[in-house]
Formats: sequence, C-alpha cells, structure tokens
Amino acid sequence: MGNPLTREAFKTAMARFLKRKPESLDENALLLELVQESFLLVEMIMELQDQFPIRLSQEDLRAVRTVGDLLGMLAAKTA
Amino acid sequence: MAKDVAKARGNQIWLLSFYRVSEITGALFFGRLAKSAKPGPIQMDLTRHFADEAAHARLWTDCLAKLGAVPLKLEETYQERYLAAAGMPANLMEVLALTQIFERRVINQYSRHARLPGLDAPVRETLALIMEDEKWHLQWIRDALRGMEAEYGADAIATALKRYAAADKEAYADVLARHGDKLDVLMGGRGADAETDEEE
Repeated sequence: MGNPLTREAFKTAMARFLKRKPESLDENALLLELVQESFLLVEMIMELQDQFPIRLSQEDLRAVRTVGDLLGMLAAKTA
Repeated sequence: MAKDVAKARGNQIWLLSFYRVSEITGALFFGRLAKSAKPGPIQMDLTRHFADEAAHARLWTDCLAKLGAVPLKLEETYQERYLAAAGMPANLMEVLALTQIFERRVINQYSRHARLPGLDAPVRETLALIMEDEKWHLQWIRDALRGMEAEYGADAIATALKRYAAADKEAYADVLARHGDKLDVLMGGRGADAETDEEE
C-alpha cells in the first residue's frame, strides 16, 4: 500500500533518492540532468512506484522530460 | 606480419576490456536493484546475479593480466547504447525483459568467441567459466518473467521482449558499425557487414 501522491510527498521522495533538499528540486529541471546515469533514473522511477500506489510502463514515460512532467504524469495516473 | 600480430593483440585487449566494463556495468546495476528489491525469491536471484557480474569482471581482469595486458579504460558500455535504443524501462517486468534480451546477446557473443580456433588458453577458460553462469541468468529471468504473467499479462511481457529485441539489434549494429574492425576476428572477417542477430 503506497502513500497518497501530493506535490510535497513526490518532491520529498525524489529528494530522498537524489540526496537533495526537496526545496532545491526545480519542476522545470530535466530529469536527465538531475540523474545523469540512465540506470539510476530507472531505479528512481521504480522507487517512486514503491512509494505511491501506481504502476508505470515505458509508454507512460515517453513524453516525460522534466520533474514537473513526471509529477504531472503520476498525478494523472492516480486521478 | 608483425604489424598484423600487434593489431590482433590490440583488438583482443580492446574486446576483453569491453567485456570487462560491460560486466562491471551489469554488476553496478544489479547491485542497486538487489539493494532496493523487496524481500523474496527475486531479491535473492538479483543478488546472485549481481555477484556473478562482479565475479565476471574480476575474471576478465585476471584474464587480461595472464595475457600480460592491463584493461583499457573504456567509457562506452553496451548497456548504455542498448538502453538509449530501448528507452527507459519503468517497472521490474520491463527491467527483466530488457535484461533477458541483453543476456541472450551476451551468451551469443561469448559462444561465438569460444568457437574461434586458436584461442589463448586464459580466454578459452574464462569464457567457459562465465558461460555456465550466463545460462543460469537466462533461466532465472525467464522463470521470473513467467511468474509475472498474472500481474502484468503474458501479452505485455511478449511485447516488451519484442521491443527490446529490436533495440538490441539496433545497438549491436551500431557497435559493429563503430568497432567492426576490432570485432572482425569474431565475425569471420565480415566486420560491420556481419549478421547481427544470431539466435540463441
């Protein structure tokens, strides 16, 4: 059973993974700049799915480029 | 003649270094997955897989030493190129499907290499040792994917495998196009024109 998805919870989970402060996460930041190694990005996406009640597929990530895109996509999937 | 021998040796060192760095990349990836996996059989298999990949990296390092060489520091890995072609997997099923196709590529590559005549003994012995583990890698992932059919659907798994097989073909063709000269000996002199999708 995951946690409810809120902007704050999302940023906290992501910041924990990236070992950063949640307030330092800019929603316009490109994911591939934040997490430069692709395998680490895969791991982060899987961690987020463990945190929140959601299952993603590769197709869901196709249009995701930024932190905000990821949050928006997760929010749409849980709506 | 002496120039050909030096070139062949240089190509061999490059190829074994490429294998080594691919095994290291695999170990780092499986190590992270094993660390974050939920307790259960998949966590155990991921941990063993991680340990195997690390052991293989050591075997290639030792093999190079026995040949009187040191590993080349290569930035490029097959996995990065494959992932770029495949797109990012988003769940454990997709990660395992991606890995299944990759492992098939690895075992084909090592089998092809092991069949070459006149291999140096350390290379032949290292390939034999690693291929035993590679068979288990294919097996456990195949079993895990079967176990996921109820959760993800057999069709979704088959679709993912097909998508990643196409990406692997693209990545391998790309490696051949850029490094065909170094892989020439494996391809029987056909270099970048060689068939890229030898089946298991």
